[in-house]
Amino acid sequence: MTGQDLKTWRAKVARATVSWRFVVPALAVVLAINWMASTSTSTMMTEIMIMALFASSLNLLMSFGHMVSFGHAAYFGLGAYGFTLAVVRGGVPPELALAVGPLVAALGGLVFGALCVRLTQIYFAMLTLACAQITYTVLFQWYDFTGGDTGITGFMIPRFGLSEKGYATAVLAVVTLCLLALWGIVKSPLGLSIRAVGQDRYRAEALGLGARRVQLVAFVIAAFFAGVAGTLYSVLHGAAFPDYAGLGITLDGLIMVVIGGLNSFAGGIWGAIIYELLATFVSKVIHEWELVLGLILLAICLAAPAGFAGVSARLRAMLGGIR
Amino acid sequence: MQPILSARHIRKAYGAFIALKDISFDIPKGERHALIGPNGAGKSTFIACIAGQLPGVEGEMIFKGENILSLPPARLAKKGIGRTFQISRAFLHMSVLENMMAAYVIASGRWASLSDRVYDERIDRVHAMLETVGLADRAKDVVADLSLGDRKRLEFGMALAADPDLLLLDEPTAGMSIKERHFLMEMVAERVDATGKTLIFVEHDIDVVMKIARRVTVMVRGAILAQGSPEDIKANDAVQAVYLGGGHG
Repeated sequence: MTGQDLKTWRAKVARATVSWRFVVPALAVVLAINWMASTSTSTMMTEIMIMALFASSLNLLMSFGHMVSFGHAAYFGLGAYGFTLAVVRGGVPPELALAVGPLVAALGGLVFGALCVRLTQIYFAMLTLACAQITYTVLFQWYDFTGGDTGITGFMIPRFGLSEKGYATAVLAVVTLCLLALWGIVKSPLGLSIRAVGQDRYRAEALGLGARRVQLVAFVIAAFFAGVAGTLYSVLHGAAFPDYAGLGITLDGLIMVVIGGLNSFAGGIWGAIIYELLATFVSKVIHEWELVLGLILLAICLAAPAGFAGVSARLRAMLGGIR
Repeated sequence: MQPILSARHIRKAYGAFIALKDISFDIPKGERHALIGPNGAGKSTFIACIAGQLPGVEGEMIFKGENILSLPPARLAKKGIGRTFQISRAFLHMSVLENMMAAYVIASGRWASLSDRVYDERIDRVHAMLETVGLADRAKDVVADLSLGDRKRLEFGMALAADPDLLLLDEPTAGMSIKERHFLMEMVAERVDATGKTLIFVEHDIDVVMKIARRVTVMVRGAILAQGSPEDIKANDAVQAVYLGGGHG
């Protein structure tokens, strides 16, 4: 490979290039479906997009930083409550409070992350779980401030008064920007460093990289984008509940990433789409839809550990070979 | 010559087992120094002590006039200590190019950058280093698909990215063919001499040691048995009895 080949190859692969040939049609399809769909379908699409962002933020930690978090919902919840409490307790106009939610989540990520990255592997996972449970308990118990288990409702018109379709379009714009930002981070020198520490922290440290510092930066970024998702979710429903920071949301995110495909940027997006569609449509046919989900998870773990994204890549390679 | 590294009464214990017993010696700047000895002699432990990868080490490790024993590996790398590992630790699921780029990005301190310019500014140096270690043709390949010899060469190149003053190579030729061993170590020696670096390497292949090292330390059971030039070591009766076994006498 010549130096020029190397530069050309790198420009194509290592740089944060975006495949607009894929992104633009995908956005057009989502907009078209939203335009034609019923209001309930638009709401479902909004939830899918929000969860795609949440799962992608978790995917940054899991697939690239090799940090499995059992408490990522804490930052979804902090985003939702950061926004809600800024409006309700702080008197901040809701439009301005939109920025507060993600910042509160990032701050939470900084505080909890500084604690969690001191340990690795299962101990890291347990610390993330403990931090999320602390967050959930505070939201659940602190009635005077957070509304306790009943949450906070009726403080704003859901979706800022936008129609379901209008809000879905706004969420599409925000989520697209956030995903592009996450993609840019993954492909940047910072992303390369996050991957380096994830793959071999001892090698990274021997090269001069402070592993904990890199992990903390990744943790805060992931918390920020989970906070954006939580804020969008709170605006969608015009409410915030402690369950937003609960184990259920974390498990949803973990399942989405595994179904969608670990080690793939698109894994979180595909996972959210598949999971939410299953939850919506299979649950109408079979009451115990989680059984179907469990079987799918089993099949993926045993037969396709790279998830939907891995299967899709293999199919593309096969089709390419046929051509 | 002024020593670049001085070990003073280095002691490391794992519970009741003492891996290093009161190790003291100097490494002059620009020296190619081999650590040899039977398995369990403490060679890799000593390398790990210099690289800051072991807690609870007693004594003093003076590098460029500063005691570095309590410093973490990342700080030591920035101070000019580069290393490779006994078992290759390149980033397995990245390409060769990404590995080398990661090494250069980290060495530059621009690891937190979001700008592609960081890549652009380093791509020529990355390419030159891949050429030096003979891996430019394999730049696109994922490290997991490389042979052991290629991984070791990649790791050596990555260790050089930060332009370290002291290079620690822990069994750099383990698992390689004889031809690969000599190719790698001749390349290492050439590069080390050309850039004025100091080299400490652990090696079991005595032919490689005799050819590459200017000075040799023989360790046995956590202690120094003998030190000297390769010729002195070959002629040392104690070393012959304990390690070389007469084959090289």
